[in-house]
Amino acid sequence: MTGWLDQLRQALGSEHVLTHPIALTAYAQDGYTLASGRPAAVVLPASSAEVQTVVQILAAADKAIVPRGAGTSLSGGAIADSNSVILHFSRMNQIHAIDWHNRVAEVDPGVVNQDISRALAPGGLFYAPDPSSQQACTIGGNFAENSGGPHCLKYGVTLNHILMADVVLPDGTTARLGNLAGEPDGPDWLGLLIGSEGTLGIATRLWLRALPIPPASRTFLALFDSVEEASRAVSDIIAAGVIPAAMEMMDKLAIHAVEQGAYPVGYPEDLEAVLLIELDGEPAVVDADRRVVHGILAARQVRALREAESLEERTLWWANRKTAFGAMGLISPRYYVQDGVIPRHVLPEALDTIGRIGERFRIRIANVFHAGDGNLHPLLLYNHQDPDEVARVKEAGSEILAYCIRVGGSISGEHGIGIEKLQEMAWQFAPQDLLAQRSVKQAFDPGGRFNPGKLLPTPGRCIDFRPVP
Amino acid sequence: MANWEDCVHCGLCLSACPTYQVTGLEMESPRGRLVLLNQWREQPEAHDVETRGWLDDCLDCRACESVCPSNIPTGHLVEAWRSQEAPEARPPRSLIQVLELLLGSPRGLAWFRRMARWSQTRWGDWMVRQTARWLPPGARSVKAGLPALHSRGLSRRRLDSDGTGSDIFFFVGCVMDALYSETNEHAADLLRLAGHRLTIPQGQRCCGAVHRHSGSPETARHWAEANIALFEQSGAEVVAVDAAGCGAALKEYASLFPPDSPWQERAQHFQNAVQDVVQLLADSLPPLSRQDANPVTVHDPCHHVHAQGIAKETRSLLGRAGYAVTEMRESTLCCGSAGIYNLTHPDKSQALLTRKLAQIPDDATYVAAANPGCLMHMQSGLSAQSHKQVVHPVDLAWQAYRDAGLCATRSVTS
Repeated sequence: MTGWLDQLRQALGSEHVLTHPIALTAYAQDGYTLASGRPAAVVLPASSAEVQTVVQILAAADKAIVPRGAGTSLSGGAIADSNSVILHFSRMNQIHAIDWHNRVAEVDPGVVNQDISRALAPGGLFYAPDPSSQQACTIGGNFAENSGGPHCLKYGVTLNHILMADVVLPDGTTARLGNLAGEPDGPDWLGLLIGSEGTLGIATRLWLRALPIPPASRTFLALFDSVEEASRAVSDIIAAGVIPAAMEMMDKLAIHAVEQGAYPVGYPEDLEAVLLIELDGEPAVVDADRRVVHGILAARQVRALREAESLEERTLWWANRKTAFGAMGLISPRYYVQDGVIPRHVLPEALDTIGRIGERFRIRIANVFHAGDGNLHPLLLYNHQDPDEVARVKEAGSEILAYCIRVGGSISGEHGIGIEKLQEMAWQFAPQDLLAQRSVKQAFDPGGRFNPGKLLPTPGRCIDFRPVP
Repeated sequence: MANWEDCVHCGLCLSACPTYQVTGLEMESPRGRLVLLNQWREQPEAHDVETRGWLDDCLDCRACESVCPSNIPTGHLVEAWRSQEAPEARPPRSLIQVLELLLGSPRGLAWFRRMARWSQTRWGDWMVRQTARWLPPGARSVKAGLPALHSRGLSRRRLDSDGTGSDIFFFVGCVMDALYSETNEHAADLLRLAGHRLTIPQGQRCCGAVHRHSGSPETARHWAEANIALFEQSGAEVVAVDAAGCGAALKEYASLFPPDSPWQERAQHFQNAVQDVVQLLADSLPPLSRQDANPVTVHDPCHHVHAQGIAKETRSLLGRAGYAVTEMRESTLCCGSAGIYNLTHPDKSQALLTRKLAQIPDDATYVAAANPGCLMHMQSGLSAQSHKQVVHPVDLAWQAYRDAGLCATRSVTS
């Protein structure tokens, strides 16, 4: 019965196969706290070849596989059930090569997103997708979730920045997808796998596009007395033809939380909203855009406008914004973050609607989001020890997503579907759409062993993730 | 204070945690340790040697606390677990007693220094090498990292107080006093150059950090009372300290005492007065410009950057003294010394040391590290490469001001 475990131990060394019940409990959750599940085992491979061996052993034993980078998924993408084995990629964390001439970085899946930009910086390059969890999240996870981040407004998401990848497929074979030219022949297999949430293949080596650091960059904080005016300013800026590198918004409750956290900026306490706007590019263009943006902000009753005067100040502002989710722990026992997307012009109305949904379900909601591309992150605050509140928070979350679909948006911008939004998938997609998606899964993984129970609602399959509490 | 229950699982602490970095295990991350603490409390069957090991591997470096958006004091929670819930995870009583004996009084420190000096004589060195295989690896690395000792006396015995009207209580520490007495003297010289007057009470005790971290807070409390009383008698306004570990411990004195203790307010007053020497000197020394200074890189001791938020000050002190600072990657990651961690967890300690030394830039001659544990530990790994040296930033600054004729060279006393 333990045949497969012994084979894994033999292949990886027993210290890299975890079965201790307390160790498995440490792996029971990721960044999504509304569910948990204890895996059958956790293995830590050190190379592509080891990943392939593990997949083959587990295929023979009919065990499912859940890949995990840093476990920061906000949709439960790295949560496993008791028939699954977690592949933790923390030991595959090397940056293998940087081709400065062609601007390509060759990396392991377990490399931390921010470390890539750090390694590229001495040569004047950076890796653009910057999820707010970039100080911890790994590139393999970014590949699986097609992660975004504040700067995706201008630079695009993970999909636009991975040129080539080696993957291990559910049948234990390997494939190299894409090419270094960035324009492969035939079907876009790489595009299919990026964002498939580990359900079709597992990346074991990635070649990333590096971009030159823009020659000029200016970062502003626009302080507002009204969320509505701030939202309208966002629409106006895009309408005026300016594409900022990033345009982020936080509302009063979110500001209240981050100001108690590790990186306070010193916002006035009575502020209703703040926009964090970054412009980058050629100096002359940035200057011209700056004038346009200033004009719009002034017309929208901005209370005050600050410009970062040093790199330290800019870094602090971003750290303040990027730790906003975690800072919810300061004002609430738990939070449930939504990831809905809406057309930008309905922003003011959307925030109003979210506020009313919060009132109706008696849930406090903080808003932190990528305003520029209409990607909302309402943070629904709840106490996990209050079953009634847990039920209400899930309902309120669903209601927000239903609204996003109604106004022509989507249920997920960048956090993935995971186990969180399975039900809402059926609202977003017609039955035929889902059927088509299911047949892709069937073609790649007929046994359903790669990250089962995620992304696609599978009628009839019994999933034993425990709801929390 | 926030508790393990308040963790929202964001995972931002993982990349900051040295033990997660070297093991890649969730159980060896701050987020994982909070889960383990929860299990420890709720499930008696969790009380096994593996779980205790994962928790006890925590270095107390506080890096997780620096980055936690929810302000969870994970390091403090593990420390409290060690002293209250897992006495078996404490270092062996014998080790603690030896440390109490050696670090606890000027007489013990004098013996400690004699032993260290003896291990560096030809005979002592030979003896240590003959018996090396029986010594724990940690002890060998301490020996290898010992500074070149010049002085024969404890620094407190040779540092003259400036008498009445002193604004600074100079805290000499234990290991600093015994092994790095010259650094203490240099710190005193620079403080005087910056216009301060010093008082150096002879009866001051070890800060108690090691005992506190290893689960013996009673000893730490006892020594704290002595230090607080001496500070009150001195009439000084500031407690100056040049060891990061001591500074962090002194700044947490109030938490050693229960809220209703008569010592609470006195400890609060004391800890508010504590300042690191680099904080005091960062902007107050005359700027020097030197073309010939060797390039310096900075290692930020955990108890500087994570426990006290000191990082800029070290660089500005070195900059003022005319050094060009080239940054090392991961300057804020623990070097593995971590109090007596190098004695209790030699393997992880060595893994961290290797990682740390690999980050020293090629062109740096000096690595500035403001903590005796880091100095010794990192030097022990460097011994073979003779061209690099791990030095306290105060020593580097002092050399610059001596070369500029602003500090007098002291004759080596015997």
